[in-house]
Order: sequence, then C-alpha cells, then structure tokens
Amino acid sequence: MTEPSAPAPAPTDPLEPWPDTVDWRPVSRSLITVELINRAIWVVAILAGLTVGWVLTGHWSWPAGMAVVLVFAAWRSVVTVRAVKAWGYAERDNDLLVRHGLVIRRLSIVPYARMQFVDVTAGPLERAFRLATVQLHTAAAATDAKIPGLPPEEASRLRDRLTALGEDRAEGL
Amino acid sequence: MTTAYPHPQPEPEAPREPGADPAGVELAGGARPSEMVVDEPRRRLHPLSPLLSGAKSIVVIVAALSWQTLSQVGVERFALVVAVIAVGVVIFSVIGWLNTGYHVVGRELRIQDGLLWRRNRAIPLDRLQAVELRRPLLAQLTGLAELRLEVVGGGKTEAPLAYLTVREASALRQRLLALAGRTNGAPDPAARPADGAAALERPLFRVSNRDLLISQLLTPQAFLLPFGVAFVVMQFVLEGTWTFVGIASTVTAMAGVLMQPVRRVLQDWEFRLARDPDERLAVSYGLLETRSQIVPPHRVQSIGVTWPLLWRAKGWLHMRMDIAGYAGPQSNDDKRSDRLLPVGVFAAGRELVWEVLPGVDLATLATLPPPSRARWLHPIALRSFGAGLTPQVFVSRSGLLTRELTMVPYARLQSVRVVQGPLQRLLRLATVYGDTAGGRSGVAQDRDVAEAWWIAEQLSTRARQARGTTPQVPAPQIPALVPPHPVPRHPASAGPGLSHPEPDQPGAAGDDTYWRRPPRS
Repeated sequence: MTEPSAPAPAPTDPLEPWPDTVDWRPVSRSLITVELINRAIWVVAILAGLTVGWVLTGHWSWPAGMAVVLVFAAWRSVVTVRAVKAWGYAERDNDLLVRHGLVIRRLSIVPYARMQFVDVTAGPLERAFRLATVQLHTAAAATDAKIPGLPPEEASRLRDRLTALGEDRAEGL
Repeated sequence: MTTAYPHPQPEPEAPREPGADPAGVELAGGARPSEMVVDEPRRRLHPLSPLLSGAKSIVVIVAALSWQTLSQVGVERFALVVAVIAVGVVIFSVIGWLNTGYHVVGRELRIQDGLLWRRNRAIPLDRLQAVELRRPLLAQLTGLAELRLEVVGGGKTEAPLAYLTVREASALRQRLLALAGRTNGAPDPAARPADGAAALERPLFRVSNRDLLISQLLTPQAFLLPFGVAFVVMQFVLEGTWTFVGIASTVTAMAGVLMQPVRRVLQDWEFRLARDPDERLAVSYGLLETRSQIVPPHRVQSIGVTWPLLWRAKGWLHMRMDIAGYAGPQSNDDKRSDRLLPVGVFAAGRELVWEVLPGVDLATLATLPPPSRARWLHPIALRSFGAGLTPQVFVSRSGLLTRELTMVPYARLQSVRVVQGPLQRLLRLATVYGDTAGGRSGVAQDRDVAEAWWIAEQLSTRARQARGTTPQVPAPQIPALVPPHPVPRHPASAGPGLSHPEPDQPGAAGDDTYWRRPPRS
C-alpha cells in the first residue's frame, strides 16, 4: 500500500475535517475585545505620532497617512472578529487538534505522547478579561499548537489534562 | 573556554565532591548495585586541554585582528599583541581547567565548570541522542580528543568534554552508551571490556577519496573558482599594485565563499560507516579534524537524500540523517554532524537506508505528484513534487534541478500540520507537514484537500501505531470535557480560602487560579 487511489469519504470544508469524530470547541469571544483593545492602543499611538508631524509641518501627506492607518485598522478589526471565531481546538483520545487562521488556514495534530511541556501565559490585558493562553510544545520546533483566549478554569483544566496524559504516555524521542 | 550561563549562584568555596550529594544517590536508585558508583571521584580533563583550547581562541583572535591591522601596526607590534593575548588566554584557560570536572553518577553524567558563574550540570543518559569524538588537528598531534554529547533541548552541543586522551574518551563513550542504551531487565552490556569493542565493529560502507574529490569538483563553487581567480588576477594586473597584504586579504575573502568544496573534502575524507557490536551506527570521517560519531539507529529522526544536478551524470547522491539535539537548520552546514553518505551511487544509498531503517527500500518508495491543477502554483516543477505513505516511512520529494527526498519514520513524527494558503484554497489544495525533532519536516506539498486530510489522519494513526508501546485504552481516569476539580472560585467571591494579596489591578484578582496546580484528590 503506497498511496490512496480513492481517499476516504471527503469532508469538503477544510476547517472541519472528520466532522463526525471531532468535537471542536471555540475560544472565548472576549478574545475579540482583547485583540481590538490591543489594536486600538497601537492605532492611537501611531495617530498621535502622525498628528505631531502634521502640526509641525502642515503637509497634506500626514492626514493621508492617518486615513490609511484608520482604514487598515478597520479592515484588520473585521478580520480579527472572524479570525477569533475561526480558532478552535478539540481533544481526541490520543491527540490534540488546534485550528486557526483565515487567510492561511492551519491545523495542528499533536499527540499527547509527544508533549514536552505546556505553557500557560496571560498578559495584563488578557488577565483583565480573565483569559489565558495554553501552548503545547513538542521536541519539534515547527509544532504550532497554541490556544489563546481560554477562561482560567478551562486553561487549568486543559493544562492538567495534557500534563496527565503526557505523563501516562511518556516516552523518549 | 567555558561558556558560562548567567546562573546567579556563585559558589566561592572549593567545589564539593558531589558524589556525596544525597540527591545523586537517590537518582541512582534504578541502577544495579554494581553500577552504583556513589564515591566515584570527580575527574579532570587532560592537563594539556587549556593549551589546546587557548590555541583555538588565539586563532580566532588573530583572525579577528585581520590583515588590515597587521599592515597598520607592523609585524613586531602585532606579534607582541598576539603574545600578550596568548598568555592571557592560556592563564584564563588554566583557571577554567582547574574548575572543570566530570563524573558519572548512576545514569547521569555530571559536569561542573565555570569560573565566576559556576555551573553544575547533570545530563540524564537515557536522553542521549548521539556521542561524537572530535579530534582537531592539534588534538591529533597530542593524542587527545574532545567528547561531545548530544541531548535534545539545546540550541548547541551541550557538554563538550575537551580534552581527554583518546583511550579515556572512547572508554567513557562506551560506558555512557552502555548506560544510555540499557533498559530495565536487559543484560548489562557495560560488563564487556570497552577497549576491545572497536575490533568487533562490522564495516558497512566506505567512500573512496577519489570519488569524494571528483564529487566536490562537480559543484557550482568549483566551477566558479577559475572565474574568481581570473577576476583577482585581472584586478591586480590592471591596478598594478602587488602588495602582500592586498593579495592575502583578497584570497582570504575568496576562500570564505569558494572554499566550501575544499572544506567538504577535508571534512568527509576517509568516510567510513560501521555497526558497532550493539548495532549502533558508527560514523567516522575527516582529515584535519577527525570525527567519530556513534548514533543508536532509533535516534535517527529522518533521512534526506539529495541528487545534485551536476552529479547526475555520475548517478551520485548524498544522504544526511537528522538527529535531535544538533542545532537547527539555520546553523552552519559544516558544523552539523549529520552525514550518512557524502557521495555514493544509488545502490550504496539503497543499502544504507536499509541498514538505518530496516525494511525501507529506497528503490521502491512510490510517490504520487500533486493533482494537475497545482500547475498554477508550480508551472515547471510540478512533476518533481510528490508524497507517499509506505508501510514504515512518510516519503516526500521535491526539487527539479537538485532533487531531494525526505523519509520520516512514522515512529519519529512529533506532530502533523495541515496548512492552506489563499491560493491553495482557490485551487482546493492543502499542504501537510510531518514535523520531526530533527528540525526538518516531511512535506506533502499541494495535495487535494480531501487527500490532505486523509494523509494527515493516516500520519497520526500510523505514528500512534508505530510508537507501539502507547496503551490503546483512551484516557483512563480523566474525563474528557469535565473539569477534574471544582471550578475555581470567581474572583468576586475570593474569600478566606485564597489568602493571596489582592492585586491592585481590577479584575485580575483571581489570576493565579490557573497558575496554581490544584490539589490531587
């Protein structure tokens, strides 16, 4: 057996593979707020800089730059809302699935047995909205299994479950 | 010579004998009583090591001073500066040497080094990936060797023991490998005398130096060399200034770019591959710096085969094996010890692949190209891409001129990724990555979406089966979706139970609920 001549019944939506067996869980919607506030801070900082430039020189290109920044920020905000809704993770019996991305869609399948360590992080803004990020690391640097926007209870539950499963199935490389 | 990590625990007193460390005895609990060398003395490196490592630093410093400096300050003052630096470096190295020691405790190798920032490092031997014995030119002249251990998790080689005598180094290597490879209940291979082991090696393959020379002449750099020389000569003829410094610096600059084939020849000279009595791979090569590497076959994370364009007339290929712990792909190619075959015909490559991954036949690895609509993404090279699932390995190939093929055993897969870019979405394509700890991934480029999911599912299933020892019973006592402990209190109700100081930030009161591990009931 080398190659499928007829692959298994095809799921057509690339974000929903194996829909019968996988129970996707979304991340918290508060993540949208966090991301938007994050962006707003940046936009305000950039606009302030541009305003200073405008006041000092009075050239027309400064307000034009501000308009570009605003349009770009508005577009990114729309994308953010959809991108957060696209984040998802699922715990299967032997592996963790994480999907994310809108423009470039990514799905990672990480077996619990391959887990090296789990990171739980939360920045000040995330903490204010009671969110945390769980990241699973394997020995491969390319592994990309990060779940942002989890409530603290869910983050600690996930962390403990991953750690327990990793201990159960621990092995060398 | 010591790369000291900023470990904030300077210990001004003399180094203790860590053999008396109760933790060490505790860790050695799994070892047999004969192996419990609790009182093994801490050993020093060879007394000549500071001189040798000092010499290495001096070469680096002189190179940094460059020809430019030489021409500016004159030969005498240059020599004086170098001499002062040399004395300083040697004194520093001697102090470092006095503070460096190693010994084996149970199944750990412990190394102490550092002058101001002392470092006491324990290397668990069951995590050992490969052991390499390097002998740079000076070490060859003095009969010394450097022992390098590869463990996962370091960006660079951890714990180079430089230098030991050859006899000492190979004995230590045999001992470490014996400790590393021993599993519970297996017969103790350490009982065998280590010195006689080398005689029992079963040779597998050797590369003739003539082939190596020819192969490195058939490289783009070698083809460019005449043009480079002509350019330099032209330049000097036109300018009419023949200063020694000018020529020397031009040659040095050119050497950096064009001398890679020469370095390759020097490094891969006398390439020999053998199997040691314990079925590990023993690789040795090098002319000015000889390297002798021992790799257990199950530590090989993936094998890459390359057919360079200029070698095609000869039908040659070269192969590398990726081992976890060697620095990532961005590091200098020459520093990596990942040769499996520097140059060889197809039959040799086939034989070696069979040796490293038993049951995998390079000649029968079938791959299928991506669907023809991927032509929009790869107008020329479409047919050179391919991926296939054989019973033991995930095969992927790519490259039109320089053809490459990667084999990843299912048992070595770390994770599987499916990625779909915007153009791929238009064409209903997706790319599947099989990540390994060796740094390089197997890539099934631009497959049909349904097939990509099928490949991903197959990869994860087969990886699980190949890991084998994994219990198939799913998730014993932990319910999948129910929190295993009472949900932590809401910050508003944080009462007498949580006695942490109240952070001044509003809303962050309960932020340590997910940092704290819940009590096991």
